[in-house]
Amino acid sequence: MKDREIDDVLKTTGRALPGPAQVTLQRVAESIKPSLRPVRPLPPQWALTAGLFLICAAVSLAGAARAGFFGFEKMDSLERLLIFPALVLLAWIAGSEFVHEMIPGSRHRVSPGALLGLGSAVLLAVFAFLFRDYQTDHFISVGIVCLLTGFIHAVPASLLAWLLVRRGFAVNSVAAGLVAGTLGGLAGVGVLELHCPNFEAAHVLVWHTAVVPLSAGAGALVAWALRFRAGSGSQERTTLE
Amino acid sequence: MGPRVRFAAKNDLREHSCTGNDCKKVFEPMRPESNLEILMARYQQGDYAAVSDLIGRISPQLHRFFLVQSASRADADDLLQETWLRIHKVRHTYRPGEPALPWFYAIARYVRVDHYRKSVRTTAGERRLEAMSKEAVAVAGKLDHVESLEALLAPLPESQREVIEMLKVAGMSLEEVARATSSSVGSVKQKAHRAYTKLRETMNAKGQSGGLS
Repeated sequence: MKDREIDDVLKTTGRALPGPAQVTLQRVAESIKPSLRPVRPLPPQWALTAGLFLICAAVSLAGAARAGFFGFEKMDSLERLLIFPALVLLAWIAGSEFVHEMIPGSRHRVSPGALLGLGSAVLLAVFAFLFRDYQTDHFISVGIVCLLTGFIHAVPASLLAWLLVRRGFAVNSVAAGLVAGTLGGLAGVGVLELHCPNFEAAHVLVWHTAVVPLSAGAGALVAWALRFRAGSGSQERTTLE
Repeated sequence: MGPRVRFAAKNDLREHSCTGNDCKKVFEPMRPESNLEILMARYQQGDYAAVSDLIGRISPQLHRFFLVQSASRADADDLLQETWLRIHKVRHTYRPGEPALPWFYAIARYVRVDHYRKSVRTTAGERRLEAMSKEAVAVAGKLDHVESLEALLAPLPESQREVIEMLKVAGMSLEEVARATSSSVGSVKQKAHRAYTKLRETMNAKGQSGGLS
């Protein structure tokens, strides 16, 4: 059987399917009518993306201003030229993807998983290229502090980002949570790069980069829990009715 | 020039650019997809006539989408109503000028997945019995051609089934299906290719055994 014949079979059987009853359509129209009023469409995508990017930058700068710009001061020009543009680029991509997640039927350039992988891989590559001090002093105890510092800044960044695009509608809330977490994680890495003066390769590669997957995982988990709770709530209401 | 302009018109109203006498050829008659985008913009402005028109035009497609995804007619009706309520609630998320059909399908998909998730969670005895009785009524009420399309697409996984429905039954483009399913064009092509391979095998097997008329 040829593809064209399969096309014909699908079209014929598809066209033969019954449509909805006229009564159903009238019911739908009547249920919409009372609450029909003009609505303001979402702002342009570039404006939302820029807003998300600014939130990310503001959280990073505010966090580093409070803790001190020791890392930035210790960096040489090459390190500054590679690390911060990479973070800016990744934050812009993550912001753009978060906006796409919040608008149904948007064009997706990168999947949420790929974005997380890409973000982590780019950071690992940049850090591995720049930092060559392979000593490890107090690897775990110092590392945990950095991981927590990054994560603590990732949380408000993700929350503010969500607040900005809350008028949107995520058809896949877990994916949206993952992307919001990734964006917040990048803000957390920004704080660490500006603040942390520990340039040991293992420390930066493991603990600084780990902020991104940790924050993304937390974002996805929170979104999943909220969705589950919303589902359970509506189920309880149905049972009560 | 002709095909390029037609593609642009289908995907983006802002790309309706033309010069001289060609303009009339592009805009007359207006493509139905362009009409949807205009109707959506009017819907956002609170125009009831536009809503009625949209309901009349989009509902049969969405209803078919739910039927193909192995829903009974009663379920498809419920899902359709739920989808319209959701569409109404989030109508501000439609961006004027963007293709409207993927936006509708993305929301319909969300409603279907949400409905499936809730039905999976509902395992309490009373609810289960209710669902079983509903299913029995639904199966009895199904029409023959629904079963034949269902039977045709039955060997396919759900993700491939929805891609085939959107591409071949609803007549959407690869780009539109990619937008509606939040995936890439490449992924849609791959799913369609795999689905066709499977459908060909199934149909050939049925043809040999005389099962397909």
